[in-house]
Amino acid sequence: MTLHASPFRPSVSAFWARAPLSSLCLAAAFIALAAHALLYASLYDLRFLSLVCIYAIMVLGFQFIFGHVGAVSLAQSTFFGLGGYVTGIVGVEFGLDSAILLPLSVLAAVALASVIAVPVLKLEDHYFSLATLGIGLVVQLVAINWETLTGGLNGFSGIPPFRLLGFPIESRLHVFLFVWVCLIVAILISTRILNSLYGCSFNLVRESPHAAASLGIDVGRMRLAAFLLSAAYGGFAGALMAQVLRVVSPENLDLSLMATCLIMTVVGGSTRPLGAIVGALLIVFLRERFRIAQSYSLIAYTSATLAVLVLAPYGIVGSAERLWTRYVRRSARERANPGAEETDIDDLLEPTTTRPPSGEQALLCVRGVVKQFGGVHALEGVDFDVREGEIVGLIGPNGSGKTTLINVISGLYVADTGTIVFAGQATVDLPAHAVSKLGMARTFQHIDLVDDLSVIDNIAIGAFRPENAMLRAALLTLGSDPCLTKARDRAAALAALLGVTEVAGLRCGELPYGTRRRVEVARALAAEPRLLLLDEPAAGLNEIEQADLARRIKRIAEASVTVLVIEHNLLFLGALASRLICLDRGRIIAAGSPEEVRRDRRVIEAYLGEAA
Amino acid sequence: MAILQLIINGIALGALYALVTLGFVFVINATGAVNFAQGELVMAGGYAAVVLQPVISAGPLILVAVAVIMFFVGLALALVAYFPLMRRPPATVFISTLLCGIFLQSLFVVVFGPEARAGPPLFSSSLVRFGPIEISQQSAGIVLVAAILILLQFVVFSRTQIGRKLRATTQDREMAQAIGIPALRMIAITFGIGASLAGVAGALLANQYFVWPTGGITLTVLAYMAVVIGGWGNIPGAVIGAMLIALFQVVVASFVSYTAATILLYLMVLWVFIVRPQGLFGEHAPRRA
Repeated sequence: MTLHASPFRPSVSAFWARAPLSSLCLAAAFIALAAHALLYASLYDLRFLSLVCIYAIMVLGFQFIFGHVGAVSLAQSTFFGLGGYVTGIVGVEFGLDSAILLPLSVLAAVALASVIAVPVLKLEDHYFSLATLGIGLVVQLVAINWETLTGGLNGFSGIPPFRLLGFPIESRLHVFLFVWVCLIVAILISTRILNSLYGCSFNLVRESPHAAASLGIDVGRMRLAAFLLSAAYGGFAGALMAQVLRVVSPENLDLSLMATCLIMTVVGGSTRPLGAIVGALLIVFLRERFRIAQSYSLIAYTSATLAVLVLAPYGIVGSAERLWTRYVRRSARERANPGAEETDIDDLLEPTTTRPPSGEQALLCVRGVVKQFGGVHALEGVDFDVREGEIVGLIGPNGSGKTTLINVISGLYVADTGTIVFAGQATVDLPAHAVSKLGMARTFQHIDLVDDLSVIDNIAIGAFRPENAMLRAALLTLGSDPCLTKARDRAAALAALLGVTEVAGLRCGELPYGTRRRVEVARALAAEPRLLLLDEPAAGLNEIEQADLARRIKRIAEASVTVLVIEHNLLFLGALASRLICLDRGRIIAAGSPEEVRRDRRVIEAYLGEAA
Repeated sequence: MAILQLIINGIALGALYALVTLGFVFVINATGAVNFAQGELVMAGGYAAVVLQPVISAGPLILVAVAVIMFFVGLALALVAYFPLMRRPPATVFISTLLCGIFLQSLFVVVFGPEARAGPPLFSSSLVRFGPIEISQQSAGIVLVAAILILLQFVVFSRTQIGRKLRATTQDREMAQAIGIPALRMIAITFGIGASLAGVAGALLANQYFVWPTGGITLTVLAYMAVVIGGWGNIPGAVIGAMLIALFQVVVASFVSYTAATILLYLMVLWVFIVRPQGLFGEHAPRRA
């Protein structure tokens, strides 16, 4: 689809909403840390600050798997401990340089993570937590019992201090500055990833794996990447800790360390880099403060964390951001996109683009598709074609199998029998993200948007493509991620197309229902599909909204895309579809022009019952 | 004969695990959330028995008292860790109960000190002989109490009105509310029952296996594993899963070291995860598609 795309200029509100403010806070936090260390800190303080930096690195890693992907891994302390043991054992044995020890520890943790990822990452929520916990306990048992290597319960001491490229780093100030630089590097990597299209997509993977898969995002790979990143950070932090404390022991692998990490993440905020620092600072401070009465301190900070969990679900940093948005930025929001006047849709679409001649070849070919759930026969042999350039409406009473059919077509369900050919390729066994990559995108009956992201970013995620949203690319480019910039530009154009420009900078959670629907359609279009599947797009819209949406979809479809739309609302479909298919109890009972289908006796019976 | 003796010991241990697991799985079914403080509730029951020992002399009475006290502890847990977070993702409750577990651990240290404590012997420690096999009255008593409680929960859930309400809440909370069942009260009661079962198990094991502040976490993990083996939310499956785990521990530990047995157990459960993620006996708890 060719659009008159004007680059997305973030409005005032969008500009203040995210990165810059927190970046400023981050920078301020770093400078404050260093200034305090250089000017005032006692030897004790320096050690304290070093620990804070190291824990912050561990938490930053944990944010990937826990905060961004939303899986409660209980193996972060395992990676931390493993990194420590590798640095300790290799360091004592060979006295190597930190420039070798640190990468080696990271490698060991990543290696362990990739081995356990194979069985574990496929598991769902609770299973994943238990499996990671079990692996952690096994590793700890091994560490305790393999005394010749690990020193058993007591661990071992005498680990050489940092030595970087031959220069020893021994004074506490230098040690602090070293881990401080390490933390800066870790934060830079984190923010680079999070401010890329790739990192942006983590949000959808967390909030709705199905929606992510239907936009071509390989959820399994994203989870794997997040898990390996968390392991790398964990191993790195563990290695630093071993060289700061000069001892390692099974405590480094302990569940209580895991709990500490979890608490720091929850208290600070699980998705913001600044949250890692705040969480680590606060918890280490409380722990040191109550060192004498450790149990009392645990009682105090578990209670405090519970309070944070209940009262400030996004952690201290996340909640502060929200308060800032609500009270300080409110006036800015009211001025949001002052120039955003509703442009007519016809001005946005290239007038020259004509729809491809319809009727030539079938873009989608469904044959004999059967799907059962236990004893429920949802689909009992469905055959139909959708030709290039058509707008086909799929109607049918509740429970007739419409959504199941769309789920099978988009690859979320696997059909029991039958074939589906899309764009010349058999797709019936392909996973959803692979089907989507062939040029299919969809919306959902229950809108699946990321409430916490802006409209623009939600739409931009639709442009995720494995070849343009890569972790490596995100890490290696300087400045803003060109993929994200491009995706946002396109998103802005699509927002205009669907008439949501006015709210483009707002978070999706703040939008009314009808607007959210349109955002979801825009997101699906951002994937540049050949076939767009819409699942009840008009549900819950009033008549004016319906007419508007139908007009927009029709114009978009004419420009480039084939549409299969599920709907109850025949009025809506009448204005939109060129052909209707009626499904009842898992079978197609009528197909043809809207007029024909509406008059069909079986269709009337299916909707109104025999007597009618 | 030695193997038979082992199996009997395994069954006694399994009966305890089954009680812990039952409480755990009830909460899963009622809320869809994992109660990660279940092991600490077991320890709390053990400590309660320790405290009650000088006050109440008769063993069975101690059990009843512990069950009542722990019921209220369970209610408190629901109030603190579940109800404020019930509209959040299940992982949140996982974290809040984990926090409550750590809270309880620290509380144990403060009140009872870090050392292990032995609970009162609830039954006489004399041995009963069946030919070459010896069963201590302790073990027999544990199995008996566990069997009675398992049976009781079965009767309550399938034959009584409150049991029906509890099950209705489990199946569909909103629907239950729509037909006038006070679903939230039912959930609170479920937490109470779960904690009661854990507490009784704690009182039963406190004499033979001792209680100590951090002793709960392994029990949580065991209950968790039993639920996975038996099938998420499957109640008979959970009891069988607990039995299997106990038998595995007792029998395998007699051939290799306890550590090796534990490692093998974790690896076995991981293996079950991979080949049969729905558990050996199928899942019952509803999960979203």
